[in-house]
Amino acid sequence: MSEQATPIVEITGLTKTYGSGAAEVTALDAVDLRVPEGQFITVMGPSGCGKSTLLNLLGGLDAPTAGAISIDGQALGELPDDRLTELRRRRIGFVFQFFNLIPVLDAVENASLPLRLDGAKDAVERATAWLERVGLGDRLHNRPDQLSGGQQQRVAIARALSTEPALVLADEPTGNLDSHSASEIGELLRQVSSDWGRSVLMVTHDPRIASFAQRLVLMRDGQIVDDVALDGSHDGPRQALERAGLL
Amino acid sequence: MTLTLAWRYLRGRGARSLLTTLAVVFGVMLTFGLNGILPAMVEAFTHNLLSAAGKVDLTVTSAYNQPFKPDVVNTLLRVPGVAVASPGVQRTVPLPQTADAAPDALAQVVVVGVDLATGSQLHDFPLASGRMLGGGDRSSAILNADLAAELGLGLGDQLVLPAAGGTARFTVVGLLSTVTVPGQEQVTVSLPAAQQLFGLGTRITQVEATFTQGSDRAQVEQEVAAALGPDYQVGGLSTESTLLASLQTAEVALNMFGVFALATAGFIIANSFRTVVAERRRDIGMLRAIGARRATIMRLFLAESLFQGVIGTALGIGAGWLMALGYFAAMSPIVESFIHVHIGGPVFTPATWATSILLGVGVTVAAALLPARAAGRVTPLEAMRPQLGEVYQRRVGQRAWIGAGLVVVSLFGLTTGSSGLIGLGAIVFLIGFAMVAPAVVNPIAGWASRPLELLFSREGAIARSNLQRNPGRSGITVTAVMLGLASIVATISMVTSIFAGFTSYLDKSLSSDYLLIPQSIILAQGNVAAGPRLAAEVKAVPDIGAVSTLRLAQARSDGGDVQVLGIDPATYLSVADFDWNTGSSDAAIGQLASGRWLIANGIYATQHNLIVGQAILLDTPNGQRTYHLAGIGNDYLNAKLSTLYTSQENLQRDFGVTADMLVMANRTAGADAATTTALLQKVVADYPAFRLYESQTWRAEQMKTFNSTIVIFDVLVAALALPSLLALVNTLAISVLARTREIGMLRAVGATRRQVRRMVMAESLLLSAIGTGFGAIAGLWLGYALVAAMGAVGWEMPYSFPWTGLIATVVVGVVFGVLAALGPARSAARLDVVAALHQE
Repeated sequence: MSEQATPIVEITGLTKTYGSGAAEVTALDAVDLRVPEGQFITVMGPSGCGKSTLLNLLGGLDAPTAGAISIDGQALGELPDDRLTELRRRRIGFVFQFFNLIPVLDAVENASLPLRLDGAKDAVERATAWLERVGLGDRLHNRPDQLSGGQQQRVAIARALSTEPALVLADEPTGNLDSHSASEIGELLRQVSSDWGRSVLMVTHDPRIASFAQRLVLMRDGQIVDDVALDGSHDGPRQALERAGLL
Repeated sequence: MTLTLAWRYLRGRGARSLLTTLAVVFGVMLTFGLNGILPAMVEAFTHNLLSAAGKVDLTVTSAYNQPFKPDVVNTLLRVPGVAVASPGVQRTVPLPQTADAAPDALAQVVVVGVDLATGSQLHDFPLASGRMLGGGDRSSAILNADLAAELGLGLGDQLVLPAAGGTARFTVVGLLSTVTVPGQEQVTVSLPAAQQLFGLGTRITQVEATFTQGSDRAQVEQEVAAALGPDYQVGGLSTESTLLASLQTAEVALNMFGVFALATAGFIIANSFRTVVAERRRDIGMLRAIGARRATIMRLFLAESLFQGVIGTALGIGAGWLMALGYFAAMSPIVESFIHVHIGGPVFTPATWATSILLGVGVTVAAALLPARAAGRVTPLEAMRPQLGEVYQRRVGQRAWIGAGLVVVSLFGLTTGSSGLIGLGAIVFLIGFAMVAPAVVNPIAGWASRPLELLFSREGAIARSNLQRNPGRSGITVTAVMLGLASIVATISMVTSIFAGFTSYLDKSLSSDYLLIPQSIILAQGNVAAGPRLAAEVKAVPDIGAVSTLRLAQARSDGGDVQVLGIDPATYLSVADFDWNTGSSDAAIGQLASGRWLIANGIYATQHNLIVGQAILLDTPNGQRTYHLAGIGNDYLNAKLSTLYTSQENLQRDFGVTADMLVMANRTAGADAATTTALLQKVVADYPAFRLYESQTWRAEQMKTFNSTIVIFDVLVAALALPSLLALVNTLAISVLARTREIGMLRAVGATRRQVRRMVMAESLLLSAIGTGFGAIAGLWLGYALVAAMGAVGWEMPYSFPWTGLIATVVVGVVFGVLAALGPARSAARLDVVAALHQE
């Protein structure tokens, strides 16, 4: 495991609680995690184990109750909303379960959104280049309703990559896809880390998709219960889940 | 980037964008169109007055509309800067009408008596044929050739004009080549001939003057005014000023409609954007997640509203222009036949353009401001969540309380009596009501759905729970329907009240059997009055009972003109009555006989804040006199003009007026109407300025005029109604779209297409019924406020409850509910179940 490489994500003692008093729920309980540059890491665990909370905190979409998060050397806790927004725009890419494309924009326009928000002059060229890399070179001007689910998710991945982020956060990216498309997206995300050198942190329920990652983090009740390296075999994640009693 | 996205969203939701933009179109159309109509009418009058003024720099008339001594000319000539001063007489006289005259036949001409020596220095008399008037001409007249043709006169023909003691005949000796300005049909005679015609002796009614070249006009005018004193009016041709004043009153009222329509548009847009924000929470969350700032999101929505505002305003201005053109096409013949003023086309002043553009774009953007801010507050986390129901509930409660507070505050606006505050109160009331609506939708829906569930047994309950489950969305729809219908009910209330007011004046003021009326009595200017002989002759007709007359004088009070009518306190009540304001009664008429007492009409009393018993200073031709107010009441003929009433005795003593303007007479009981009428006709034949009416006929004629103007109000109501239909269609369509997945689920678990259709229909009916109920209540209140506001600007009328309008509105509201549901219900029933279930 390449723990010695520069960490893109560094989390220490990360805690998130919701509610107060008797109704208090601890979603994350003093979690520590380091994600080195270029690593594809997947987080699994039963519903409510805290994996989505972890993702939201990493993306700066939500604020932790305690603990520190550093993304690409920037401590999130110190940033005001606008700086945080800027960091998200430039250093973090998001891939959502429901794709979240703007229905009235075509593929290029959707993929270039973060660049345009950033005022980049070459937004269209860069977005086009990424769309070609994810295999949508012939679908540049189709609107979301003219694309299949897998194609829509590719647009979303191109959008996430268009600003050359250090970290791509993917929340159940295959949750809404058929198994064939899901595999394609898993493969694409592996390519994102191996060929294009981005760190990818993916939350998924699907052991088969998890097997595309290099490393598997298992969570339960807000804590990390296992952290294993994967060898690319389809059974790796399943075996890890069984060992942890999560299957 | 924001602009592109905003534009794409607008285009992507074509139908809905169109519906909301149309709301702006209607608002701007009314503001722009209405504002183009009235200034044009005012300009037409002003223009006609100006073109009649010729080369004249200054005109002197009596402040009391009385003839005056000719030595005023000398006073004028002594003022440095005055080059020529010409004495003259100018009065409007009615033309004798034949019974079979066309409705637009010329009813009156202006008789101008010119001093031949000086007058030709001021006016051109380009002869087409015949000759100019000579010094000794006492019975010759010249007039424009086109006017002569209209009157059927040629050179050497006789023109018959009414005179104080009967009729006078003039021979047409010259025809002029100048073109007649409608409204200023002039017959020119020599000054002595005019003085003789009107029984003025050597007195004159005006002096026209020109200035030496290079003199300071304002200064000369000021010096003339100082030299003449307060009994004279300098500069302005004020004879038509009362008509102008009543036009301006109408302008205020029409402006209220325009602003109102735009406010409604504002609500529709605000509602639409609220829904749009709720619908796009996921999109917004994603944009925030990938790095869009709050400000960027806000700008996105504001840009979208800006597009709609600009497009809507542009279309609205076009539509308003067409509306004004249509109005003129419809109204020109009416105006020309009744008051002989030619109105051209619509006039759009720079102020109208500015107001319409600012209001149209401003209201749209302002309406989107709150939803845009709400959009900015959407957290990026929304992108991660599956679509949740819109979270309105808690804030609905808070808002309802604020709204209730606003409604209470707006009630104070009504009680102030100030038109500005009443108008403001009306708008605050609407906002308050709109805020309360979502909070009370649920309990009302529970109650209102019972009858509906009889009709739609299974679907009714589902529809109700759909509606109750999302009170925010239901509140939006109900509010939109309410706003649209409230404006209709309010307008109808106002129209009903105006008409009820005039009908009531008509019934009370003119309760006599016969009226002898000069032909242009409502304009009350320049009529030739009859000496007391006419009333005496009427009284002498067999079977005529009570006879009473009205006399007219002009006074000034508080620097403004006011007409003073003289009535006979002993006989007035037997032929007419006042429509009394609260606190006044018939006793006030008796009081007039006991000294310098007055009755003021509503307009005058409101303008001067009068209370009964108060002292009023009047400038009369004999100096300033102190009168006291005996009562406040209105009569039909003077409903729109500032008017005071006193005894004929006071009028004779202080104003020197003894001539009768109007004679009212009753038949004795059991008399034969036909015989009496025939006998009266014979009497009136000697007085061509007067026309005999049986009151029923007169009333019918007046009602006919009303009915032709009510068409304009109907168009206005329709223009107000359309946006509310749009609002309903819009919100219903949105609510069906937003529930696509739910409808798919219902179909999956076994709802038939018919059931889905009936469910959407039931929901629409329920929503529109509640909205209509709210709209009726809000509209009644607003209508009351509008009527009160009109009273405050001097157009007092009793509030009249608009029963028929209300029923019509309720029917329209429910029909709209069904119409609006047709499309959405069909598309809901046709949904592809699988696709619907997959849609987020």
